[in-house]
Amino acid sequence: MTPRRWWLAALAVAGVAWILGGEWVSIHHGVRENHLIDALGGLAFLAGGIIALDRRPGNTIGPLMIAFGLIGYLGNWGNLNVPVLPLLGVSIGQWAGAPILAQIALSYPTGRLRTTFDRVVVGLIYAAAISVIVVILLVFDPRSAGCPACAWEPAPFPSGSAFLAVTSGFQRAGAALVLLFLLAVWRRFRRATPAERWDLASLWVAVCVIALIYLLGAFASPSPLADPFAYLIWELQSLLQISLPVIFVWGLLSARLARSAVGDLVVELGRSLPPGELQASLSRTLRDPSLELLYALEGQERWVNARGQPESLPGPGAGHQARTVTVVERDGRPLAALIHDPALDQGLVRAAAAAAGMAIENERLHAEVRAQLEEVRASRQRIVEAGDRERRRVERNLHDGAQQRLATLALSLAMIRDRAGAGPAVAASLAQASAELRQAIDELRELARGIHPAILSEEGLPAAVESLADRSSLPVRVVADFDARLPEPVETAAYFVVSESLANVAKYARASRAQVELSRCNGTLRVEVRDDGIGGADPGRGSGLLGLADRVAAVRGSFRVDTSPGGGTRVLAEIPCDA
Amino acid sequence: MPEPPPVPGPVPAAGPAPPAIRVVLADDSVLFREGLARVLAESGFLVVGQAGDAEALHAVVGQAEPDVVVTDIRMPPTNSNDGLLAAQRIRAEHPGVGVLVLSQYVETRQAIKLLQHAPQRVGYLLKDRVSDIAEFAETLRRIARGGSAIDPDVVAQLLRHQGEDSALGELTGRERDILALIAEGRSNHAICERLFLSPKTVETHVGSIFAKLGLLPAADDHRRVLAVLMYIRSA
Repeated sequence: MTPRRWWLAALAVAGVAWILGGEWVSIHHGVRENHLIDALGGLAFLAGGIIALDRRPGNTIGPLMIAFGLIGYLGNWGNLNVPVLPLLGVSIGQWAGAPILAQIALSYPTGRLRTTFDRVVVGLIYAAAISVIVVILLVFDPRSAGCPACAWEPAPFPSGSAFLAVTSGFQRAGAALVLLFLLAVWRRFRRATPAERWDLASLWVAVCVIALIYLLGAFASPSPLADPFAYLIWELQSLLQISLPVIFVWGLLSARLARSAVGDLVVELGRSLPPGELQASLSRTLRDPSLELLYALEGQERWVNARGQPESLPGPGAGHQARTVTVVERDGRPLAALIHDPALDQGLVRAAAAAAGMAIENERLHAEVRAQLEEVRASRQRIVEAGDRERRRVERNLHDGAQQRLATLALSLAMIRDRAGAGPAVAASLAQASAELRQAIDELRELARGIHPAILSEEGLPAAVESLADRSSLPVRVVADFDARLPEPVETAAYFVVSESLANVAKYARASRAQVELSRCNGTLRVEVRDDGIGGADPGRGSGLLGLADRVAAVRGSFRVDTSPGGGTRVLAEIPCDA
Repeated sequence: MPEPPPVPGPVPAAGPAPPAIRVVLADDSVLFREGLARVLAESGFLVVGQAGDAEALHAVVGQAEPDVVVTDIRMPPTNSNDGLLAAQRIRAEHPGVGVLVLSQYVETRQAIKLLQHAPQRVGYLLKDRVSDIAEFAETLRRIARGGSAIDPDVVAQLLRHQGEDSALGELTGRERDILALIAEGRSNHAICERLFLSPKTVETHVGSIFAKLGLLPAADDHRRVLAVLMYIRSA
């Protein structure tokens, strides 16, 4: 045992002696009350205070609970015919408990009063209690209080009626202070974050009990003879008072309960978590639904979420937006960052993070791989888009340059043919030249169209696909459920899927017809090319289908080829429209 | 061999020669524009204006009061389908002005769009068709008279895959040839000349085609182009 524990044990022994001694005095002097309940009330607070001191050293709640538990027994000891003791019993023993209890409740669980309002309320309650105590010390008359034989001198201005007036008056004024106290608690509830509210569950229960005790106080009387009903309430108060330390200790230990949730976390992590589940597990363990888990990329000052998407750490917000960032490190390098409710116990957060260490490292690696994959995908998309831009540029140059010049040349040649009064040999040469030129223009046109179809940029995907169908060597039915324009990379990828697939159908499928279906659903473009040919297309072999799969993947799409011998071929690409 | 002067439809028995057809040309290539202007002038047209982009074209059409406009489809400012849009606007704003759209590529969809917007006084041809000067001049005259012209490639593309399942399959070879010429925008008279048939034979064939396809016999040559194209496309 540590020296500190020895001290606590000594304190406990002394406290128990004080309480049981007080109770013994009460019994010996024939005080009529339920001695068991009376003793239990004090012992419960003493035990709670000792446990709190042990678990939360430096927290004032433990000492306050012990003080509350012990002070009440001044009243019991007051039954001894010893000077001053009875006076202390009816003053301090009777009245010092309330402000201590209010301070415990409002400073729970940290032991500090948070707001000025809280401090003012606690201060007022202390002031009221001290006033009562001072007045009692001045006017108390043991004879009128039913102890004419008491062996000590009365207060400076003994007056039985003044004593009664003051105590009952202050008891009633106490109701106003109780309401003020409840207001302070209500403010605290309003301002608490969800995680805090959960942590303070025991407080809300305790406060209701305290309020009940003190509201009942206005009707209670310790004397069973004067008013049996008031006495019953007095006993009820005592019973409720026993429950308070139990509630407080449960509350203080609930941090320990949460630590055992860390144990559950360890068990949970023993099973392999699906990727991205770690954040949910930590959120459950720490009871903070707003908790986020970000991962540090190795050697880079960047953070990503479990899906590998870049995120940034939040700045310090205010009020409900306030966030706390706890960085989990390994060997001095940041591993992950927990972004959570500032109300969470830092020790608990660190414990949970430490327990999840391996899982965090594991998931960080996952996130890093995903981030790298995303980078590769983005760079592939950039490469494809750069290629497409280049194709459009080449097509434009051909159109404005070579094609235009050849058309002009054809015109000039026609003029020469019309005008020339040349002999038949020259005319035949000119005719042949015209035919050759015509051929060149046609070939150049097909070449340019293959590089980039003008109609795709001019009129969009359905028009361009219809144009492909028009020029296909077999009948192709086009079904499109939209006519709107889509982002250029999407249109281009979809166009090449159709164009390459139809070329394959014409070359290999021995099909009698094909169908192209374009549909849009939930932000996804679906492109399907079906034929009734011999099937057997192999996406793994030949660069055509493989190239299409790459192209579709570059715009985050999926690509599939279904084929069976004799059952035709179906090419299906699904591309997100916002790619 | 010099072409004989083209016969513009049924000519009135007597009277002064019809005034030359006024043409405006639009193309962003000056070289091509100048060449075409020279060819058209030599073929008896009056080139009354030229433009290098769609905006300038609208201005020139407003001033020069042409009978017909020949425009490239791809012109500044957007180098997309400006010519097509300009054609539609001219047809809407100047109903008496015909428009012939030239393009390096012909697309069925564009042809039908153009005809749907204004079924007469429009043409849609591959750009290099201009090198067949006589044919081109004839097409231009046809448009100026109120007819229409669709590139044979468009029609051929449309007809290529049609026929097995539809009423088109019931047409005879000769009827299919005539159907293609109708779709290109040619009149019965022009079909007679091209296929060396008598007017009566052509009329019989046309009647038979329309009956087989279940189309109403079109009163004028202009409106039957769209009807036939739409029919083939949906077959």
